[in-house]
Amino acid sequence: MFDLVYGTIFFASYGNISGLVNIAISPFDALLAYIVAIIASVVMALILRLPLLPGKPYRYSFDVSALYPTPIIAIGIFSIFLVLNYTFIYNGIVLAAIIGILSALFVKYLFDFVFPKPLDEADGEDMR
Amino acid sequence: MNEVIGIIIAAILCWLNFVIVDTYFGLPENPGVKGAEIVGRDVSKRGGDIAGGFFQGNILCSPDASAGTLLASIGYLVLGIPGGIIAAFFVFMGNRLCADPGYAGTTGSLTATLIIFISSFVGLTPEMFIGGMVIAILTVQGIDQVRASIVLGKIAQKFNRHAEE
Repeated sequence: MFDLVYGTIFFASYGNISGLVNIAISPFDALLAYIVAIIASVVMALILRLPLLPGKPYRYSFDVSALYPTPIIAIGIFSIFLVLNYTFIYNGIVLAAIIGILSALFVKYLFDFVFPKPLDEADGEDMR
Repeated sequence: MNEVIGIIIAAILCWLNFVIVDTYFGLPENPGVKGAEIVGRDVSKRGGDIAGGFFQGNILCSPDASAGTLLASIGYLVLGIPGGIIAAFFVFMGNRLCADPGYAGTTGSLTATLIIFISSFVGLTPEMFIGGMVIAILTVQGIDQVRASIVLGKIAQKFNRHAEE
């Protein structure tokens, strides 16, 4: 039986999840911090009255919403902090919540200024 | 795992990943930018399929799931799973700079990161995925563009995403 347990753990160690970097917090804490970042960004975006889903032709809409660009930005920026090995207090959970809130604020107030919608070439109006 | 066998398996996995994600998010349906339309019309003039041509033009002109898979493999090699997520974030920014909503690119990077993580348990390494992705792109764009566009058009028809002409 111990052979089976040892063999299972050894087999699981094949899954290399951190590449060439040394991440200080454990994989479980990192997963928890990612979940906190996603939830904080979505909740903050909903508080700021962003719509939950983008506008109606779903696959071609340039609208920002709570579910599409906000969590991607939050977990992307949190990953940069993680690989730079800067996790603030409480195993990165506080940092994840701060990044989630800031990314929701960015999406609400600055996103259209940084990434403007492309112009429709027919009449120069914003594309929908 | 043997490197050659691993690269072949990784190429098949990458091909399925980016073709399915790109087709689902409607790349064969319409050309997003002018360059994609020119490539599509040129391929269909040479006897190819117009939907496959739009597909090839779109993955040429803006970073979609193909570029997402390649960048996620490189990010996974260097930085692990956070690297794959950083790749998704950068692919999203590149998409928005290319006047593309960016659904296909970010989804493709995240699914590629998941596939690399799962298949690392059977001994496939991210290096094999980088090599496999280059081979997968070569089969779509490089060897025979006309026949590849016909295959892509059939897949688009299966997904109900064919360009209605």
